[in-house]
Amino acid sequence: MGLLSIIRKIKKKEKEMRILMVGLDNSGKTTIVLKINGEDTSVISPTLGFNIKTIIYQKYTLNIWDVGGQKTIRSYWRNYFEQTDGLVWVVDSSDLRRLDDCKMELDNLLKEERLAGSSLLILANKQDIQGALTPEEIGKVLNLESMDKSRHWKIVGCSAYTGEGLLEGFDWLVQDIASRIYMLD
Amino acid sequence: MEDDDPNHQGLATETLDPALQKKHHDMLERLSARHQARKSDSPDSSSSSSTLESTSSFLTRFSDSKRSIESRIAESRLVSSSTDSSKVKSDLAEISFAIDNLEKLLAQNSYFLPSYEVRSSLKTVSDLKQNLENLAVELVPKKKFSFKTKSSSKKPESKLPESQKSDVVLPPKLPVRDSPGFRNKHGETLSKNFKGSSIGEFTLSDLDSCQVRLTGTVNALFLHRLKNCNVYTGPVIGSILIDDVEDCVLVLASHQIRIHCARKSDFYLRVRSRPIIEDSNGVRFAPYCLDYEGIEEDLKTAGLEEETKNWANVDDFRWLRAVQSPNWSVLPEEERVSSVSISGDGDS
Repeated sequence: MGLLSIIRKIKKKEKEMRILMVGLDNSGKTTIVLKINGEDTSVISPTLGFNIKTIIYQKYTLNIWDVGGQKTIRSYWRNYFEQTDGLVWVVDSSDLRRLDDCKMELDNLLKEERLAGSSLLILANKQDIQGALTPEEIGKVLNLESMDKSRHWKIVGCSAYTGEGLLEGFDWLVQDIASRIYMLD
Repeated sequence: MEDDDPNHQGLATETLDPALQKKHHDMLERLSARHQARKSDSPDSSSSSSTLESTSSFLTRFSDSKRSIESRIAESRLVSSSTDSSKVKSDLAEISFAIDNLEKLLAQNSYFLPSYEVRSSLKTVSDLKQNLENLAVELVPKKKFSFKTKSSSKKPESKLPESQKSDVVLPPKLPVRDSPGFRNKHGETLSKNFKGSSIGEFTLSDLDSCQVRLTGTVNALFLHRLKNCNVYTGPVIGSILIDDVEDCVLVLASHQIRIHCARKSDFYLRVRSRPIIEDSNGVRFAPYCLDYEGIEEDLKTAGLEEETKNWANVDDFRWLRAVQSPNWSVLPEEERVSSVSISGDGDS
């Protein structure tokens, strides 16, 4: 019995999933988490460090790690990679100027070995803002088509402000993780 | 953790002893499995990130790493004069990484360690960090800690190409649509009224010696490369992102405000959450002081009708300590401008 099968067994019992939310600052990570959890989103300060939220979603327990995106603290992202089942990359679709920053940081993240097995959900946030790029356009800029074939990924347009698209994204993520982890043994 | 095997859950309710034995047996099995996995996963020193389950083996591992880090610090100090600065930097980064690993090792094992060991190990880690910091100051003057040297050594590469990239690389890929905004102006007065317009985001970029007046509400506002400008804006519903401003006076209201790379600038803010600064210095803060016809209604629309006093609750991401950051201050009352009145027209 290897370590992996033990972890799987433990997880199977608890139906737990560990989700890591990252992305540039101002992309709306914390707002998304609070919105999914049905909390008030009217006063949210930029995240200094990280927040952890445990959410019961369908029959699973999601442990969502929402890590701050300011430049100064991006180098600490790697401290949260271990045992990540699902990776959520949040993009501010209205921030055209920093899209190449966004692409660079995402590319770096996907090189990370410890995240190699995790499902990737890209949320093209702020679709409610007039002038925001569509998920298709964001996908082109980020060059998602050229991603490693073994990676499970999906891009979904959303608005943390109205809540639109969030459930669609998380439904996919949770299903994808579930089919990978819990159906294997 | 316990009884992950469904079969023996039943046992546990019947008799205690066999169940306990089984648990014990299971635990041993798990431990040896983990040990095996650890061995096969990582024959090198990176196995230091696993838990060890015994105080003595932890202490051995800990003091080994400690000694190796100390000797590396001493070594770097000796050879520094003869090597070039990039080598020094990468050495420092490596040592800092080793210290991080040591800290992680401690954190992962802290649940079974006696509290004295935890405390003394924490002390060791912080001493090592201090040593490294001292070394960094000696070898790389002005650069304080290796995280900084790491990110700032990246900056020159990423900063320059970035400005070129956004012009050169993006257009062929993107069906470029510039967001609405004012760009590349010098010495002008620029006005815009959002009332009745469908504009969601607005950009002010590459302005020099301009006065900007924005009235009405907008969802998102981006400010980039402003010099010697006065910017007065009505309430922004979502967030304001500011990057690279110098010698400016900015009167802004929003749900969130992020300020990057600002120098010698005064901010008059009303903000629902805590404003943040990063890589900034010489910035001063005061309460929002804008007035135009209909501003009360706009403030209400954006949920900003109340003064939150958050204009003074600034978080400096480059100064994560309890004492006041040297990079920002409250603008003394006698130096503040009195209320600014602008007219609400301007082309819309």
